[in-house]
Amino acid sequence: MLKMIKHIWLKDIKAEIYTWKSLVWLLVTSIIFSITSYLLLTNKELSLLDQTEMLWLFAKIIIGTILLIIIIDASALISNEFENETMENLFLTPLTTADFVLGKLLTSITIWGISYLISIPYMIVTSSGSGLTYAFMGYVAFFGTLAVLGFTMLIFALSFPYKSMKNTLTTSFVVLLALTIPALFSTTLKNNALAKIFGQINPIDNIFSSLDNVLVDYKTSIGQNLTYIIPVLVFCILMLFALLVSVRIFSRRGILKD
Amino acid sequence: MPLELRILSSKTMSGMAGDFATVDGEIANRGDVAINNVTTYISLVNAETKTPVDLEDWSAEKGLFIGTIDANQTLPLTWKVHFVQSGNYTLSIVANIDGSNIPIISELTYFTVSPKQNLNPGHVLPVALGEPILLILVFLMVKYFRDKTAFNPMSR
Repeated sequence: MLKMIKHIWLKDIKAEIYTWKSLVWLLVTSIIFSITSYLLLTNKELSLLDQTEMLWLFAKIIIGTILLIIIIDASALISNEFENETMENLFLTPLTTADFVLGKLLTSITIWGISYLISIPYMIVTSSGSGLTYAFMGYVAFFGTLAVLGFTMLIFALSFPYKSMKNTLTTSFVVLLALTIPALFSTTLKNNALAKIFGQINPIDNIFSSLDNVLVDYKTSIGQNLTYIIPVLVFCILMLFALLVSVRIFSRRGILKD
Repeated sequence: MPLELRILSSKTMSGMAGDFATVDGEIANRGDVAINNVTTYISLVNAETKTPVDLEDWSAEKGLFIGTIDANQTLPLTWKVHFVQSGNYTLSIVANIDGSNIPIISELTYFTVSPKQNLNPGHVLPVALGEPILLILVFLMVKYFRDKTAFNPMSR
């Protein structure tokens, strides 16, 4: 099983590197972080922000940018196999659907890992002197991994029935926007009951609130952030369930059904 | 009401955005009977705009429920205040008692928060310029080795 997962993972990683697809994304990510960190630290107006506020803003930019790139990339990972008609060939080999999905999931996590490595120097330089460097890097890694896992599983769950990158990407973007826009609302706009309930279950809102808790309020322990971590974990479990259902339906119907 | 609120820490404070300050106070019951259900809060007002400040990021503990204060008892009060934004502020401690429609308020403490200029604390320029350049070099190396292996089957 591990051999097949590794095979799928290597195939996709090589495709990412040799087609320049990911390399350009990584460079774009680095340029976005360069511009943002430079502006935050040297722009006269922006530099008046308290450093912890600036770190919170930068943490949101790091997770948001990488999540966007991962969503675009993951939307193509399974859908392209259908669109390029390579899915049948893959399943003629002793490859199970589980190996296939886990290999693809590992590819997304690897891209996230590389993007995170790129963001480390920026995190170190922006948090210099704040005493929050390790908390900043740790929580971005933790929440970034959970967000990437959750969204990648959602995208894969959509990829099997859609079999089209365009539809998968559009739906994933709609979900991402639906979760991100309310998370960016001001505290006043989140005061009504419906917004409060949605805020408590919205994983993006919980990620941003926890980063606020850590970076602005100095509540850095896991225990102090558990109320924010649990909804994000629940989101991941729900997405895992959606993926399992989608894979099961796909396995029953087969590739040639449609 | 025989309840008295006092701020024990300095009447004037100053610091830089991002700093923390501790506001110490005490609540005393000068009467002969116990007072029940007392809650104390801090109130922060921007002295320039004359508007109350949302304490969300300024203090994790906005209100302290005291409960009952016995006759002639004095209890200490402490708040940790995080200076979030530059400006001039006034801070007071307010006590509410269930059944009383008049709050008790302490004297004011004045504090000045100066802005923290984050101008390049960790020397951002080398990273902001260097990392994209380094990535381009790595990508060119990847391309070089890929092309080299692609055109030389014997190397496999």
